[in-house]
Amino acid sequence: MRRWSEMKIAAMIVGILLALAVPSTLWGTQATAAPSIQAQPVSIVGTGEPEKEYASKPLTRLLADFLKTTGVYALAHPESEGKADRFERFARSWGRLIMFGVVFVLFYLAIVKKFEPLLLLPIGFGGLLANIPVVHMTGPDGLLGIIYNMGIANEFFPLLIFMGVGAMTDFGPLLSNPKTALLGAAAQFGIFGSLVGAAALSQYTGLVDFTLKQCAAISIIGGADGPTSIFIATALSPELLGAIAVAAYSYMALVPVIQPPIMKALTTEEERRIVMPRLRTVNKREKLIFPLLIVMLSALLLPESTPLIGAFAFGNFAKESGVVERLSHEMQHALINITTIFLGLGVGSKLQADKFLVLDTLGILVIGLVAFAVGTAAGVLLAKLMNRFSTQPINPLIGAAGVSAVPMAARVVNVVGAEARPGNVLLMHAMGPNVAGVIGSAVAAGVLLSIFN
Amino acid sequence: MELHLVAESLKFMILGMGIVFVFLYLLVLLMRLQAYLIGRYFPGEPPAAPKHRDGDEAARVAAIVAAVAEHRRKRTRR
Repeated sequence: MRRWSEMKIAAMIVGILLALAVPSTLWGTQATAAPSIQAQPVSIVGTGEPEKEYASKPLTRLLADFLKTTGVYALAHPESEGKADRFERFARSWGRLIMFGVVFVLFYLAIVKKFEPLLLLPIGFGGLLANIPVVHMTGPDGLLGIIYNMGIANEFFPLLIFMGVGAMTDFGPLLSNPKTALLGAAAQFGIFGSLVGAAALSQYTGLVDFTLKQCAAISIIGGADGPTSIFIATALSPELLGAIAVAAYSYMALVPVIQPPIMKALTTEEERRIVMPRLRTVNKREKLIFPLLIVMLSALLLPESTPLIGAFAFGNFAKESGVVERLSHEMQHALINITTIFLGLGVGSKLQADKFLVLDTLGILVIGLVAFAVGTAAGVLLAKLMNRFSTQPINPLIGAAGVSAVPMAARVVNVVGAEARPGNVLLMHAMGPNVAGVIGSAVAAGVLLSIFN
Repeated sequence: MELHLVAESLKFMILGMGIVFVFLYLLVLLMRLQAYLIGRYFPGEPPAAPKHRDGDEAARVAAIVAAVAEHRRKRTRR
């Protein structure tokens, strides 16, 4: 019996909401009489801000006014939030509903498929909040807007993430086999190759119309490095940030799906079976000096890349120094976790329907995928070449780890290698190109910044 | 005049890949140099590497490495 009465109440609520959604003549008079709110007595406060004074209203009017502030009303009457052209009206009504669907897909990927949940979940929730009508949470005084302006608009959060990543990174495998750093360079071809691809797509087809800056921001997805992608997208074309970040993190999560077919297509069974010699043990001093080396090198060659590389090297230096365990621990845990929350929500604020539901997003997803594939292929091909000319055997598979995506890409290499020869452990050999890829994409980012600044 | 996007982006590609390779190649050289210098002037620090006797041992090490990597991946993913 109780359930029945609950259902009746629910039915009544649904009925009221439906009535609101119908652009009926019932409300028509009041809707057109919107200025009546402004017609109410207005008092001038000392600051010069006009403030609405509350005037007595009959209950029916109070109820009607309240209903007009509901989300259902706003979704059904997109023009109630100010003037809008056809696309904006669509974005504020159906667009928002579609975006709710999109963020549920993100939640599904994060929770069920475990795709980069640390980022996709906050991004998805940020997207959910960003599409809520009436309150403008992405505005300068809204939760998401504050977060965005605090640390994303000024590119601060990606740098903090980089600091934490630096504190988590072990350069031992790279130091013990330095030449694998070149594989991390080759994989950056994914960035520049897809830059040309994006430019060609804009120039020769009418499908998308990206400027050169936008092309550069999109192609950085090929670096397979989340913070770098966000850093560059914010600097070069913030309007595309949402789509770029979502694409970058989705593809990083898809590394185990995207990479193996490419790796297998470009190598022979025999090459995949190559066993690499044991890595030599690295002296502690080498690890300590290494972060200083990369900072000095970037300071001399490419100062534009020092924000990224400097933050990264600082984290790594703190870790390797061994005397500031507390700081390094916080960078790896509290700092990176808090920043991840803010970064995710802030990026999610760019998933507003009017920014995301455009053809450009589709273009970004396609170009990003190509960038990833090209980067993987370039790494594998250079590794093949190095294997021909090197005295020590190099398994070409480790070239695929040159795209950053630490440590996922290295793990994929390990799995594919073990498929060809059970017991062949390539993980540590692949970590070398993998961490070099992080440096490589930071350098590529620095080059792009230096071109446009 | 309209920018020729493809021509510009090709220039970017040459510049970008060039710089990335130069940067990382210099890094390789520096890493080799410091490995040489440190090995020469501060030797004897590395702990004795565990000797592996047979294939079983290698497989065990492989399993441990993979397990540690998996554990780390689960705990600290960015």
